[in-house]
Amino acid sequence: MFKDIPVDVSPTHEGERIRQRNMFVELAGSKSMGAELVQVKDHVEDGKIEVIGPDLDEMKQGEVYPFGIKIEIQGEKLEEDLEGVIERRIHELSNYVEGFMHLNQRDNIWCRVSMDAKEAGFKLKHLAKALSILFKEEFPPIESVSVTIFTDETAVKKFLQEARKKYEERDARARELSEENVDVFYCCLMCQSFAPTHVCIVTPDRTALCGAMNWFDCRAAYKMDPNGPIFEVEKGEAVDSIKGEYPNVNKVVAENSQGTIQKVYLHSILEYPHTSCGCFEAVAFYMPEIDGIGIVNRNFREKTPLGLPFSTIAGQCSGGKQVEGFLGMSLEYIRSPKFLQADGGFERIVWMPKELKESVIEAIPEELKDKIATEEDANSIKELRKFLKEKGHPLVEKIKEREVKKPKVTEKPEIERPAVPVATTPEMSLPIKGGFKIILKGARIYAESVIIKRK
Amino acid sequence: MIIAVSGKGGTGKTLVSALLVKFLSETNKDVLAIDADPDSNLPETLGIKVQNTVGNIREQLKKDIAAGKIPDSVDKWSILEYRILESVIETKDFDILVMGRSEGSGCYCAVNTILRKIIKDISSTYDFVIIDTEAGLEHLSRRTTQDVDLMIIVTDQSKKGVYTVQRIIELSKELEIKFKDICVILNRVKKEDIKELKKSIEKLGVKLIGTIPEDPSITEYDMKGIPLTKLPKNSPAIKSMRKITNTILNEVKYHGQNPRTH
Repeated sequence: MFKDIPVDVSPTHEGERIRQRNMFVELAGSKSMGAELVQVKDHVEDGKIEVIGPDLDEMKQGEVYPFGIKIEIQGEKLEEDLEGVIERRIHELSNYVEGFMHLNQRDNIWCRVSMDAKEAGFKLKHLAKALSILFKEEFPPIESVSVTIFTDETAVKKFLQEARKKYEERDARARELSEENVDVFYCCLMCQSFAPTHVCIVTPDRTALCGAMNWFDCRAAYKMDPNGPIFEVEKGEAVDSIKGEYPNVNKVVAENSQGTIQKVYLHSILEYPHTSCGCFEAVAFYMPEIDGIGIVNRNFREKTPLGLPFSTIAGQCSGGKQVEGFLGMSLEYIRSPKFLQADGGFERIVWMPKELKESVIEAIPEELKDKIATEEDANSIKELRKFLKEKGHPLVEKIKEREVKKPKVTEKPEIERPAVPVATTPEMSLPIKGGFKIILKGARIYAESVIIKRK
Repeated sequence: MIIAVSGKGGTGKTLVSALLVKFLSETNKDVLAIDADPDSNLPETLGIKVQNTVGNIREQLKKDIAAGKIPDSVDKWSILEYRILESVIETKDFDILVMGRSEGSGCYCAVNTILRKIIKDISSTYDFVIIDTEAGLEHLSRRTTQDVDLMIIVTDQSKKGVYTVQRIIELSKELEIKFKDICVILNRVKKEDIKELKKSIEKLGVKLIGTIPEDPSITEYDMKGIPLTKLPKNSPAIKSMRKITNTILNEVKYHGQNPRTH
């Protein structure tokens, strides 16, 4: 099948690294430029191969050249959505070619050709030939395929522009990907060495708490190492897709938290929140006084309106605990369209450090942009309440409504001495003997002073 | 074959690593040096200027992720692999990878797990990998590799030196690192003390693979900033390390584990 190609083509050459010592030329990479692109077209001349610019026999040893690979495919069952997935296979398949090294993707590719391959008479047209055979073999829906390789600088520049436009369109489509239109979620147990009951569920709308793993990364990691700490979770039916409750997810969470966590709502901080590891990028906290939610990121060192800094708040829920009213999260999740949608999403958010607010500003609905306080506006619950009233935050209306409903409750005088909030939690249980349990709902515990003593 | 060289700062660990790299690459084998001690200076000792480190690449990737700069559908791990491979400095005799700074706050679970796989893949393309690692072995367990064929502990003849050997042996058992073999090199040692020291090291259940005498030219070269690989052929350190390298090569032959050849 590959008889016209002077080097071997087989999966055994995957992972072959060509080092400078044995290198003929370098293609693309940070010292030059390059890209790769797969496009589904209506009319493709099957088997067409073209090299635009010098081929290897016209190149000088040790030099770096611009490089582009364009693959056009046609097939009744092929859709534009598949382009990204098929394109990603260029990496694997071109590495089947002995003496050819390919790294990375899109407009960041970096390739090398070995001395041995060059001496055997290998040319880029052979690479194109190998790719066109391999693609048809690997993807039966491809009916016809043509491969163009660019090494001419002007042609590569033009191709780069075309490719970048396509990547943008593709990314826009990827942003549209949501829990509704996938069949699998991913489960990551990488943090269990530190947080044994932490089970991270990653969906297209929910990046892992560390921020390092989105749904696509998990898919790539699972493919790389199917027996590793990241595996697929069949999505199955949703009990409630707003809250994000899926029986299959609950099952996986229970199994992998040794039964500690039985139920998780993927998009709630108030009810059955997701567990928190310990290294999340930000933590959200519920403030019962305002019935609103604040978020603080790891880099923010000052105190939040709760009177506590990030580290103390993080301590409340880290280690794989499920604590209502506290939720560790990635910065990317704040940008998710499903961000805390069970609790009202951004309408419930009342406070964020300025730096954090600016980094997610695009995701905040226009009418709320000036209504969310930062450390420059409020540093206590009192100041925060005042700010929200002034700005007419939608939550204020809700607080008023509740106050109207309970007209007989006269406002209690504020505690005169400066009190230290010891705990603010929507629900907590007090340790007590004799088979009873005392549960405080919406508790706010203040102390005039807190003394910490070493035992 | 993966050789890790560890020891307390100032014991000559980097000298041993650098000379191992030099002598092994002279045998025409493919050699990768990994500087996994943020406090050491293996590249300078080998006469190499560092451009980028794995630590910097990792921080940059984390920054790019937090700023939402990496498109959703682009797989981050191939970006990481690409940037790491790009940072490998290739010379005609050997290649070198510099680990650089350790982590800041936040989560490194994911990135370190992937990093380990990338470094394992890179390492598998060489006959010899020499890792200059710190006494705490943090780098080995978390970032570099968990499979080590030979661990060399470098120590001097002070009382503390033998304690360090003991501590590193204990630590290596606690961490999830597999060592096929552990041995000790005594540096800056007086001839008359070797016998006694050998006994106390062998009591710990490890063998003494060689000794290096005090060599005044090392201090001189260090002060002038001349790479130690340029030491004269007849200098005591060079002579001893050449002998030790041969011992290691013979051991490899003896055990029948031929290093990968191209």
